[in-house]
Amino acid sequence: MSEMSRMKFYCDEDRCIECFACSVACSEAHELPTGISRRKVITLNEGKESLEYSLSIACMHCTDAPCEQVCPADCFYIREDGIVLHDKETCIGCGYCLYACPFGAPQFPRDGAFGAKGAMDKCTMCAGGPLETNSSEERHMYGQNRIAEGKVPLCAAVCSTNALLVGDSQRVSQVYRTRVLSRGHNHTATPKAWKSAYGS
Amino acid sequence: MANTWGYGAMTNHFGDVVGNSKAILMIGANSAVANPIGFKHFLQAKDRNNAKLIVVDPVYTKSAAKADHYLRIRTGTDVAFIYGLLHIIFKNAWEDKEFIDSRVYGMDEVRQEAEKWTPEETSDVTGIPAEQIIQLATLLAKTKPTTVVWALGITQHSTGTSNTRILPILQLVLGNMGKKGGGCNIIRGHDNVQGSTDMCCLADSLPGYYGLSEASWKYYAKAWGIDFNWLQGRFHSPKWMHEKGFSLAKWWQGVLQEEKTYSSSPIRALWVQGTGITSMAQTAKVQEALDKLDLLVIAEPFVNEAAVITSKKDDIYILPVGTQFETEGSVTATNRSSQWRSKVVDPLYESKTDHEVMFEFAKKFGFYDEYVKAMKMDIVDGEIKVVKDNFVWPDDAANEIARTVKTIGLGGWTAKRLREHQENWHLFDPITLRGYGKMKNQYYGLPWPSWDTKHPGSPILYDVDTPVKQGGMGFRNRFGLEHDGVSLLPDEKVNVKGSKVKGGYPEITKDNIEEVLKITLTDDERRKIGANWKVDLSGIIQEKCNEAGVCVYGNAKARVKVWTFPDPVPKHREPIHSPRHDLVMKYPTYEDQTNNFRVDVRFKSEQQQQDWSKDFPTMLVTMRVVNLSGAGMLERTSKYLSHITPEMFAHINPELAAQHGLRDGEMMWLHSPQGTKIKVKAIYSHSVTPDRIALPYNFAGMMQGVDMSANYPDGTKPYVIGESSNTITNYGFDIITQIPEFNAGLCKIERA
Amino acid sequence: MRFKYIILILIALTSLAFASESAIFGKDLIPNILAYDKEGSLHLGKWFTLLQSTYFKPIFLGVLLGVPALFFIHYKIIGPMIFSHDRKKIYVFSVFNRAIHTIAAISFILLIPTGVVMVFGDFFGGGEFVRINKDIHAIATLLFVISVIPMLIMWFKEMLPTSDDIKWLMILGGYLNKRKDPIPAGKFNAGQKMWFYVCTFGGIVMIATGAIMFFQDFKIDFIASLGLSQIDLLRLSAIVHNVLGFAVLALFMTHLYMSVFAIKGAIHSIITGYKEEEEIEILHSSFYKKLNKDKKI
Repeated sequence: MSEMSRMKFYCDEDRCIECFACSVACSEAHELPTGISRRKVITLNEGKESLEYSLSIACMHCTDAPCEQVCPADCFYIREDGIVLHDKETCIGCGYCLYACPFGAPQFPRDGAFGAKGAMDKCTMCAGGPLETNSSEERHMYGQNRIAEGKVPLCAAVCSTNALLVGDSQRVSQVYRTRVLSRGHNHTATPKAWKSAYGS
Repeated sequence: MANTWGYGAMTNHFGDVVGNSKAILMIGANSAVANPIGFKHFLQAKDRNNAKLIVVDPVYTKSAAKADHYLRIRTGTDVAFIYGLLHIIFKNAWEDKEFIDSRVYGMDEVRQEAEKWTPEETSDVTGIPAEQIIQLATLLAKTKPTTVVWALGITQHSTGTSNTRILPILQLVLGNMGKKGGGCNIIRGHDNVQGSTDMCCLADSLPGYYGLSEASWKYYAKAWGIDFNWLQGRFHSPKWMHEKGFSLAKWWQGVLQEEKTYSSSPIRALWVQGTGITSMAQTAKVQEALDKLDLLVIAEPFVNEAAVITSKKDDIYILPVGTQFETEGSVTATNRSSQWRSKVVDPLYESKTDHEVMFEFAKKFGFYDEYVKAMKMDIVDGEIKVVKDNFVWPDDAANEIARTVKTIGLGGWTAKRLREHQENWHLFDPITLRGYGKMKNQYYGLPWPSWDTKHPGSPILYDVDTPVKQGGMGFRNRFGLEHDGVSLLPDEKVNVKGSKVKGGYPEITKDNIEEVLKITLTDDERRKIGANWKVDLSGIIQEKCNEAGVCVYGNAKARVKVWTFPDPVPKHREPIHSPRHDLVMKYPTYEDQTNNFRVDVRFKSEQQQQDWSKDFPTMLVTMRVVNLSGAGMLERTSKYLSHITPEMFAHINPELAAQHGLRDGEMMWLHSPQGTKIKVKAIYSHSVTPDRIALPYNFAGMMQGVDMSANYPDGTKPYVIGESSNTITNYGFDIITQIPEFNAGLCKIERA
Repeated sequence: MRFKYIILILIALTSLAFASESAIFGKDLIPNILAYDKEGSLHLGKWFTLLQSTYFKPIFLGVLLGVPALFFIHYKIIGPMIFSHDRKKIYVFSVFNRAIHTIAAISFILLIPTGVVMVFGDFFGGGEFVRINKDIHAIATLLFVISVIPMLIMWFKEMLPTSDDIKWLMILGGYLNKRKDPIPAGKFNAGQKMWFYVCTFGGIVMIATGAIMFFQDFKIDFIASLGLSQIDLLRLSAIVHNVLGFAVLALFMTHLYMSVFAIKGAIHSIITGYKEEEEIEILHSSFYKKLNKDKKI
């Protein structure tokens, strides 16, 4: 069992109120074009009493990342702490990672010749990219590298209700478990989104 | 609220809700959208205390999505709804009899009124099923402590003043006042709305709720060190010094003079500073008035839509004013705490801070010296004197406020203390607001009233189980000592802890201080002491009361009957434009009003002019969206925020849309009874039922289908413009405050 | 003329498809996420990931190396077929045929290698080099687009299956021996026909799947009405494009070997339009008999 922590996101659907703080903060921090939202906020069953819930979705930094498996240019690399990153300079913009991803995280700006797809862009968990850490090149290409500065990814930092949790998977589970236990008997045992996305 | 027990602000605070509330009744508020971080506290209360969140709203909002109980109410029927609850509470004897008997005046009339409101009648009026009403009443009665939370969904009605009284009445009946986890938590939105309310940026009062009486003006003249006669001379004639001015809701009448106004003159020039004028109702009238002005000055960091919707070509001046990041000073949060804000960056480009602008104009107009004099003054030996030649902004301004505003007890808000809180904010507990270590014996931000520089602040109002010097007090004695032969002071049973005076006592004045406190003043003290605690610059009253553990504002009963109001106990009255004509006959609105804020206001004549529901069958609700606020002036210049709502829209139920042949995303016209119309996109949503639509009020730049954005100066056009919902907000104003009836109205849908 | 129309239609369709909101990240995002690998779904996400990560590259490598290897062995053991150049030359391919074939040939010479480079992107270090290959692949598609329909139309009749084809297949075209027995075939033999179908019909499918992947985010109501989400369409396109790619690669290399190496001088027929009489007599015996009957020689 590795001593190294594995960084994971978890969005608590009982807390998410679709305030878009995470999405806007991410776009602002990494100065993204408005067409690309690395982090999206979705609402299911909108307007339906007792059924509506919201979630914040971005790259989930999967342990067995399918994007990394299918890339023909092999531009992905998975850090020891579990964060899945890729090299935009190696990326050929083919789109395979998008096909493989269950969450629709990879996105492609249309800035190539003849409107061809440019290099893929996705959530980096604020860990930058392969370029020199905290250099202006890294910032320009991948956005801020907050992890290297010991800071929390911005989306979770600005979440108004602490719905979006990020950190070592054990700690995140612990926080969520505490909440579930204290919520008491009238809370459903399995969150709706988790059950849908990961159950079979 | 202030008319019920003395102060009109949030009585408890968010941390208190998290720590103690077992139920949260949210009515007329959509905190998840309007105050997301505030809403976190309600979610934390749900998680930690198993607190029940009950949301009462005409629309299934994001807040409602997190509620344990959701009740869909018809707009403008809140008074009926609460009476429905009270009916059940009284019927089952679930009220807190001891509290009512000892601390409340006038409950019998409320009981009488509540008798009429059976679950069936309430259900008919409000649209909420009778079972739900009974269920909720039971829950509230059996769950203690419960807090009630509201916001503009309650205040923005023609019966807003009744709404804001019936909710305190509910809390008084349930015995939730002055307790941890209880209270009436009215949420203020913007981070300094409470501050601007306290400074009374309104047409009917001097700062600090002093009103406009001669005594108040004289007090301020003394506090500012200027001649009262000189102040009086600034007015057209002495009479106008004490008359309320025009309100933000109807100032345009002062320009257009279409209806009768009662003013020394019409309005010919308008100065707009720090307000989105398009977030006011009757935008078409605002537009007309702007066109007719001789002079329009706008002092804002972004281009205020007032400059854009008018077709006036000359005599419009836009002054670039810095944002909150380019200036320093204190802001007052919704829980009455003050926080010091430091400057982040100097004013950019040519912009100036608000105060710089005002100082420069004061110099030009020739009253600069009088304007700033008070900042060079201080209390020396119990008397107010000029103590220096120059002032330091903003510290001296903060100190002037602390020294002068006694009504809400800002005496503790010296710049020094507030700065200290800012530097040590990590030393406060977020649930209780209590400080520790260096900040021991202080509550974060010194929630007012913080009577003097030693006082820790009062996080929970009206708590008689806490000594005054730790933030406790009873209800304020603001309405006299007795009414109709009944005393308004409680008896020996209601003691403020640690007080030398037992039971109730009046507010402290020069005349009664010796008798109430059982002390004798010296001659010197008698000379210096002010007429009452609100105008006592010497501080002697405060000092003596501290020694006795007495609260300067008295210890009185709360009153549920406001004998000066048109409805002494709140009554249900249908909104001015109601979908139920049968109920309009049964619960009509007020008689037309003469001269409120210098204008006449139509009530009954408008409501009963015709059966509006025939031609305008759909109810209109205006709502917040999370990424825009106010007039949207700021947010629509941010590309990411604009991206979330790139167009003006209205949420419409698919069934209603189908009736008008509207597909999802098609354009439609919405017509108002006033004859105005707007063109917006129809967006299907199940959050509204087929009898109503909901639209955001944060767009501007288009007027009745006409794109006004050509009027923006080069490079200032925001990313997104749209119709302002206020173009079709129906004519209707609160009887006392004149706030427009944004949240109840009718419209007609037409496919574009 | 046709070229202009094709470009115009392409642009029109593109703009139409791109006009509204995203077909992937818009309303469908959530249903797609929730449907991933669920019972009742097409499981395309899982299949694509599995196939692309584990199988496609090795299979391509197998074809890329195996097919030439096979032919190398054939060449060494059996050797090429050599026909006499002294007899008559028969006109078999018109100017139009040759022009279209030339355009198609150029496009394939660009499409195939660039496609292979993309498959083995990591071997080439990804980045600018592979991206340029990707761009060339896209541009060459346009070349292919203008030639595929004409080619399909001009040779369709002669490529229709006949009874000769079964016989031809049974003897594998007679290439497994050095004898010069007459082979049962019309103007085009079964092998050529197979390649024709893969090249034209398969090629059209390659164009379609390739275009789907290139444009990625668009909505065509017809496809949506079939109940196929855009992301599943993309996944399906990727799988089909790769699998057909095996066939195209294999048969292209076969076609190159046959026309350049295995039958000496065969390539001249597509340049000059004339074929050697003996070549037709032997390799396309039924065609020869027909020509004789019609006194076309």
